[in-house]
Amino acid sequence: MQNLSELARRLISSQVEFVLVGGYAAVAHGVTLVTRDVDICCRFSEENLMRIQKAFADLHPTPRSRPDLPLELTPELCSRLKNLYLKTDLGVVDCLGEVLGVGNFEEVFKHSVEVQLPCGPCRILDMDALIRAKEAMNRNHDKMTVIFLKKIKEQQK
Amino acid sequence: MLEERDNDEMVLKESPRAYGMDADDIDLWLLQESLAKTPWERMQANDDALNFAESLRAAMKERHAKLK
Repeated sequence: MQNLSELARRLISSQVEFVLVGGYAAVAHGVTLVTRDVDICCRFSEENLMRIQKAFADLHPTPRSRPDLPLELTPELCSRLKNLYLKTDLGVVDCLGEVLGVGNFEEVFKHSVEVQLPCGPCRILDMDALIRAKEAMNRNHDKMTVIFLKKIKEQQK
Repeated sequence: MLEERDNDEMVLKESPRAYGMDADDIDLWLLQESLAKTPWERMQANDDALNFAESLRAAMKERHAKLK
């Protein structure tokens, strides 16, 4: 059973510094395409990465590249990580240090909006930055997402 | 508009545009329904759709296994 909203809720309640990006951000903006994972851009500090580890501790988090190994972050490992691709019992979470077409965490944060979720405030990449990111990725489903996002912008005028 | 086939089956004969698809093949009715929701409701709707799709995949896999 996948529960991406619970993964987002845990990130918020664990006070992880992150911005929701990718397909799940598009869903939050209103896109009706279904996405299978949670992509976040986050600060890759030791403190923040340890918060992520703690948020998912009981969900058997493993690196997607080594699902046979439990996630065991150390200060040394944290200092080397640029991205962190996780598999958990509730779904996949990709933690990115930067977003193509937008930039590093600071840039992504600048181009994000805060929305109030029942579990607390959550920052989501804004519509224009998300369009830029999806155009930069340019895979087939990204192109479809861009069409949806532009349609939503039109509808909201 | 529904039209009757020779085998008594009723089929939808209208063009996609007639039931809300736009030039980009986006279902505007579904999009409006999504925009009427809060971001949290949209995220949960994605979860529901994802799990429904997973359950269909599992059911088809089980069916194929039984047919072998």
